[in-house]
Amino acid sequence: MRQFGYERPEYAADAVALAERPEVRYLAGGTNLVDLMKLGVETPDLLVDVSALPYEFVQEDLDGLVRIGAGVRNSDLAAHALIRSRYPVLAQAVLAGASGQLRNMATVGGNLLQRTRCVYFQDVSKPCNKRMPGSGCPARKGDHHNLAILGASDQCIATNPSDMAVALTALDAVVHVQDHAGPHEVPLAELYRLPGSDPQRETTLAPGALITAVDLPTLPFARRSRYRKARERASYSFAIGSVAAALDVEGDVVRDVRLAFGAVAPVPWRARTAEAALVGGPVNEEAFRAAAEAELAAAEPLRDNAYKVPLITNLVVRTLAELAAGS
Amino acid sequence: MSVPTTQRPTGTETATGRLGDITLLPDGIPKVTGDFAYSSDLWMDDMLWGVTLRSPHPRARVRSIDIGAALATAGVTAVLTHEDVPGSKYYGLEIADQPVLAVDEVRYTGEPVAIVAADHPETARRAAAKIVVDYEVLDPITDSRAAMSPDSPLVHATPTQDHYPGGGNILRHVRIRRGDPTLTADVVVTGEYDVGMQDQAFLGPESGLAVPAEDGGVDLFIATQWLHVDQRQVAESLGLPEDKVRLSLAGVGGAFGAREDVSMQIHACLLALRTNKPIKMVYSREESFYGHVHRHPATMRYEHGANRDGTLVYVKCEVVLDGGAYASSSPAVVSNAASFAVGPYNCDNVLIDGYILYTNNPPCGAMRGFGAVQVCFGHESQMDKLAAALGIDPVELRIHNAMAEGSLMPTGQVVEGAAPVAELLRRVKDAPLPAAAPTDSYDLRALPGGVSNTTHGEGVRRGVGYAVGFKNVGYSEGFDDFSTARVRLEVVGGELVATVHTAAAEVGQGLITVMAQIARTELGVEQVINQPADTSIGTAGSTSASRQTYCTGGAVQAACEAVRDGILAMASARGLSVEGAALRDGKIVAADGAAVASVADLLGEEIVEETREFHHRPTEPLTRDLGAPGDIGQGAAHLQFAFAAHRVVADVDVELGLVRLVEVTTAQDVGKALNPLSVVGQIQGGTTQGIGLALMEEIQVKDGKIRNPSFTDYLIPTILDTPPMQVQVLELGDPHAPYGLRGVGEPPTISSTPAVVSALRAATGRPLTRVPVRPEHITGT
Ligand SMILES: Cc1cc2nc3c(=O)[nH]c(=O)nc-3n(C[C@H](O)[C@H](O)[C@H](O)COP(=O)(O)OP(=O)(O)OC[C@H]3O[C@@H](n4cnc5c(N)ncnc54)[C@H](O)[C@@H]3O)c2cc1C
Ligand code: SF4
Repeated sequence: MRQFGYERPEYAADAVALAERPEVRYLAGGTNLVDLMKLGVETPDLLVDVSALPYEFVQEDLDGLVRIGAGVRNSDLAAHALIRSRYPVLAQAVLAGASGQLRNMATVGGNLLQRTRCVYFQDVSKPCNKRMPGSGCPARKGDHHNLAILGASDQCIATNPSDMAVALTALDAVVHVQDHAGPHEVPLAELYRLPGSDPQRETTLAPGALITAVDLPTLPFARRSRYRKARERASYSFAIGSVAAALDVEGDVVRDVRLAFGAVAPVPWRARTAEAALVGGPVNEEAFRAAAEAELAAAEPLRDNAYKVPLITNLVVRTLAELAAGS
Repeated sequence: MSVPTTQRPTGTETATGRLGDITLLPDGIPKVTGDFAYSSDLWMDDMLWGVTLRSPHPRARVRSIDIGAALATAGVTAVLTHEDVPGSKYYGLEIADQPVLAVDEVRYTGEPVAIVAADHPETARRAAAKIVVDYEVLDPITDSRAAMSPDSPLVHATPTQDHYPGGGNILRHVRIRRGDPTLTADVVVTGEYDVGMQDQAFLGPESGLAVPAEDGGVDLFIATQWLHVDQRQVAESLGLPEDKVRLSLAGVGGAFGAREDVSMQIHACLLALRTNKPIKMVYSREESFYGHVHRHPATMRYEHGANRDGTLVYVKCEVVLDGGAYASSSPAVVSNAASFAVGPYNCDNVLIDGYILYTNNPPCGAMRGFGAVQVCFGHESQMDKLAAALGIDPVELRIHNAMAEGSLMPTGQVVEGAAPVAELLRRVKDAPLPAAAPTDSYDLRALPGGVSNTTHGEGVRRGVGYAVGFKNVGYSEGFDDFSTARVRLEVVGGELVATVHTAAAEVGQGLITVMAQIARTELGVEQVINQPADTSIGTAGSTSASRQTYCTGGAVQAACEAVRDGILAMASARGLSVEGAALRDGKIVAADGAAVASVADLLGEEIVEETREFHHRPTEPLTRDLGAPGDIGQGAAHLQFAFAAHRVVADVDVELGLVRLVEVTTAQDVGKALNPLSVVGQIQGGTTQGIGLALMEEIQVKDGKIRNPSFTDYLIPTILDTPPMQVQVLELGDPHAPYGLRGVGEPPTISSTPAVVSALRAATGRPLTRVPVRPEHITGT
């Protein structure tokens, strides 16, 4: 591990000033960053611990908008009464991730910016375009069992591993950022970038940008929302496919819907094609299946990850059917 | 001798109870509360830290090693390469083919190349990174079947072994031929099956502390399975006589076979002798995956021929095991795989070829089940397939062919003692089935996908599967397998105390409890102290092959009997009549039950101490193929066989490929349950390890490199993946074994894997020929 310095500022402006150089990383729960430092994937020379910043809150403003501080621990977020009642999909997604111990450490900000689990990315002795631009992507021919079927590029087929981000994407969350230009807001859908020809750039954030909070717009029908996650053991493992959904039904017609997929794309995948197919349509399994298939028509499965196509289709049908039955 | 501050006398915690009593393991609670001192907790104030530089390549020639920059690093005291190994530069359990530190070639990714000692582990790691190794990278040999070809490049250019001369990369080829395998049969089924590489996944990484001694020797505190086999290898490489290399067992955090080979033992001692300081070494989790052997991956081809009534006519099997870069215990593993390839069934005509290959993959060796696990998946898959082809119930087909007392093994060995294969199968079949999954309400924890909320019953089908398996207890093929025990009886502070000393490694299985139970029962004393295991007493053999209660238990029993005879002789010398007397409750008790004398009074200040070895009955090597006609690969190679059967009920989400095991029922003959609670614990734990292999546990090796060396990416079952188990324990008694016991630890791991897969096949109708089964195998996508 490279030798590094350590700072723990109390003000966001100090943190941002410290983090201007590319060799600096913010340290939140450390559950992803420290592992990557041990593997030599991350080699910061300075860690700026963000745990003293005043971002451990969950608040509701007068318009019903809910703001979550970037430092809120995953466990606290999942347990929060506002989240559980208004946005059950978010509480479920967070609880479906990692383990109790990890969730006690992990934060909202860190969870959003955790890195891919692609084995080549984590192995510094291998080429990887994301880690070493231009070195190649061994995953395409090699181990891609849990890599992307949607949104990938020739250069990179990694998946974003976060469960929480899938739910936030479905909920149209907005991220508060502070960088050298001052504070501003980015819709979550615009935070993550598809790999294209430069997979090393995963977000649209400026270097040294600090995430300070996440806003959840009022979305009354999100009270009926669900997260379903398939994984290879009953707990404590990453998704091989997941679905976040909220459904608003009027009579036997879909009035509105939010749908996002996890573990299938380089970003949490908002299924807008499927949403468009559903809205105004009937509330039945055929329609749900057709919508999922419409979204997945763009899928480009590889040798060992084609299973994700039926997996996601089946998850969508089940999740929407459950929400429909409950309404 | 200086002793590290945290070296607690491992294994001395007092257990209670007599033979057959339910007794808690004394180390259980400290392990759960975090008070137990593991080998990674060892500490001495003036110690240095040792770190290993490992090869990043699976196959490369080492042109040169430049340690200059590393040695010049502040805080670094020593940097050693193969040139600094004073004794044998190679070591190994059976074949000394593994370099202590790479000499001219590296043969697997992670092979140790150099070692560094420094005042801080991070300093040592940074210094190791400064060592410049000039590698000429070669194409690795990573496919075991391709490695068999005579055209394949060789992993070991100069064969360092004599097992299969001229065989190229074939480390050993075991041929078994009996009867006439050219026969034809009414019904023939063939199948190809694969088993992935499983890890022992112990929680306590490789660690130890080596302390230089004033006599020029070294004291090593170490978590291991066999102190004396480590001692021999360390001494040979240090160029020291064995009595200058003294080992003491430190707290062991699990083993399962992975601690049978030397890991950091020689390295720590080399550094300690060079620096004249205590050296601590602890592997990280990632390093641990490279630091020990794994279960051999297997590819198997089977052909079964049977009559219409289901009687097996012949079985042909070819099993190819990937041994990786070095021999470890591979020659014995492939012998086992061949011996047990047919399963516990009668079949007069067999043709079995077991191959074990050198490749540039991580070395494989001992793991719970030792060769029987892989073939059990093969033969049980075949029995299900045969049952389907014949239209016979799969359990009835197995019972119809079941081995029994007096049956012949494929090796011609007569199965002696109880072989209750049919009864075990009947018991698991007749056990009540769990209730059907409720359709009106659901508990997520009871459904496939668990609390991930993937199903509320949609797409879920139930399947029931069965399997039976067996394996040998103790070391086989003519190995002189024995243990040594010293037992002392004396009066301390007015109380009678028995002290038991062996070199047997307690690795969590409960041996210290059993040893104390034996002494307490045999000598009729309450207070029994287990002395820490070390090499100041003769070898106990390995804590493996389900043998330690048999062998060390046998040695403790023999030493206790000798002590008892000594006490009775004392009594007799004082004119007491002790004809047929025993020791009970601190007294000499005559055959009619009358107390003759108090043992404490008799002993007074005297001490009775006896040391005994227990050698199990001899076994014989398999006859080798010498080109002679007739049956080959024959012989009474095994000491004792242990059998278990499993029934698994699984709920399978056939749309998502997720599994929830509803219940496991298992029956096993243990001969005699010395500690019934430990027996059940072993059966539950072993079954769970087999479930792991069936559903998720696999070291993924690509191009000779482990892709998932962490417990984030190498999945083992959590408690939510582990179903309720009905455990039926039979005690049929083996007349040849101490107390009639039969080894317990391994059988449950063997048959649980195929039983799980059998249940998945029943639920999905898919062939499922590879373990671990992944979601896409279940959904067929
Ligand atoms: C065994 C294991 C299993 C796991 N399973 C799952 C799972 O099933 N599902 C899942 O979703 N996740 C899983 N995870 C990942 C886990 O959720 C993440 O590691 C965690 O959320 C990261 O949060 P953290 O606060 O620890 O981040 P850190 O590790 O501290 O940081 C992660 C990254 O975010 C950056 N960062 C942190 N805070 C900020 C901020 N405020 N502004 C800007 N940048 C910031 C850091 O610089 C770093 O690059 C698992 C992790 C492990 C180790
Ligand atoms: S998929 Fe992306 S992260 Fe993985 S190896 Fe290819 S470039 Fe690297």
